Amino acid sequence: MHWSVFIIAVLLASALDAGLGGLFEVGSLRAEILPSIVVFVALSAPKKIVVRAAMLVGLVADLFAPVILGDGTPLVVPGPRVLAFALGAAAVIPLRGLLYRQNPLSNSAAVAIFSAFTALAWIVMSILRSVVTGGDVPWWPATGTSELVVQFLGALGDAVLALPVFWVLTRTKPIWGFETKTRLTPGVAREGL
Amino acid sequence: MHVSRMQQFLTGKRLDWTLVCLAFLVALLPVRVLRPWTNDVARLVLIPLVPVTHLSSSLRDRIRPSLSSFEPSRPGFASTEVLALEAEVERLRTLYEASRLDASRLEESLVALRATSTRAGRGALIDVAAATGSIVATSNGENDGIVRINAGTRHGVVPGSAVFIDGDVFAGLVSEDVGSFISSVTPSTRLPSIGCRIYPATGSDPTQPIGSAPGAVLKPTGRGTWTADVASAGELAVGMVARVADDRMPRSALGARVGRVVAIAPIEQVPLARRIEVEPILKAKDAASAVVVLEMGVLGAGEGGREPAGARTSTPLDGGRR
Repeated sequence: MHWSVFIIAVLLASALDAGLGGLFEVGSLRAEILPSIVVFVALSAPKKIVVRAAMLVGLVADLFAPVILGDGTPLVVPGPRVLAFALGAAAVIPLRGLLYRQNPLSNSAAVAIFSAFTALAWIVMSILRSVVTGGDVPWWPATGTSELVVQFLGALGDAVLALPVFWVLTRTKPIWGFETKTRLTPGVAREGL
Repeated sequence: MHVSRMQQFLTGKRLDWTLVCLAFLVALLPVRVLRPWTNDVARLVLIPLVPVTHLSSSLRDRIRPSLSSFEPSRPGFASTEVLALEAEVERLRTLYEASRLDASRLEESLVALRATSTRAGRGALIDVAAATGSIVATSNGENDGIVRINAGTRHGVVPGSAVFIDGDVFAGLVSEDVGSFISSVTPSTRLPSIGCRIYPATGSDPTQPIGSAPGAVLKPTGRGTWTADVASAGELAVGMVARVADDRMPRSALGARVGRVVAIAPIEQVPLARRIEVEPILKAKDAASAVVVLEMGVLGAGEGGREPAGARTSTPLDGGRR
């Protein structure tokens, strides 16, 4: 995988998410492009770099989403989304062999799973951080359950948005430089030839 | 040998676990350790991307303009003119309410001055300038997060300045995270509390004292709205407008519209009060541009006050905000 292409795509997707904002928002359901990028890489890049790439995307996501502290001041906390994206990517890796990638709905399903795991991990990390540092959780004064519902709705939104995003990403696949290897394993049928 | 071990570390799983542990540790660092550097790093990453965020923000505004400029029940003809006139009426109404609140505050100041003879003239005339900026980015992953505008210290923006959208709607305060060309705005729905007075949508009755409008301290619900307990003595109805009446807010925010009452419910434990829910009139993230009002300080007799570079002088709530 060409890391330069990946980094540019991640920054562009983050900028588009930050700028387009409410365009893909219906009520409290908000869809984002960034999860589709991670899932696209998770399904196409070599397994050993997927988690690392996801962590890089998580870092960018953390930089673009400052937490508002109790006194109203913003603070960028690098880390919660790094771990959340790593967990999300780790959840998608086992799906590589199960998904029929030519079907756009399978990609959307992978994005939904990724976003759901990411949301769960981010909520857990935020609660852990508030316990350790004694601060408020980012969704205060709403409850963790309501935030979970909002995040899961967002995961559904991400899945819907993944349909057009994957269409674009699939067409740009040659410039990403993914290695395609066909592994031949010896077996009875092959030995008989 | 040394190189191969390094290569093995970089390509192996050990690096992944090291990064995970590092991220875990950084995520749990206290605020005082993160505050000096993380916001600056984020700004460094964001600044080169501002053209993209600005472009996409303009695109969003073109494709899906804010709901305040769209009223499906209104006949389609001459809607632009009607909207402009309605906005003008709202601005004038805000000016009127602001002057009434200001007069009330001045009277209180006068009483305090008479009592102590030491209090300086805070609440007297102040020199005000405004910097206009476009909303270039919103916080990712959050419905109600930080909003970034492309105006910074070079335009005279200082932390704590009031930010307005759509003429006279109080959108929030500039946070401590102010760069040279870009600054973060904490939306009004994420401020710890806002002191308000609740007025009828058509404005207050000039024959009634200003204190007759029920006061409320709006507290965020976390769902992009506020809730407040209001004394039952005053008149309350859905659709009434909450206007800023808070000494902790910048003076330019006085009388500005914040939200609209959307629900009123009795409180069982407190029969003499009612709980109201207030929704923002317009959210900062849905607006295309914002105006930061810069208060220069109290004007002395014959003193002109400073004017920051790139800022234009105007009255706090005049029509030049847009």
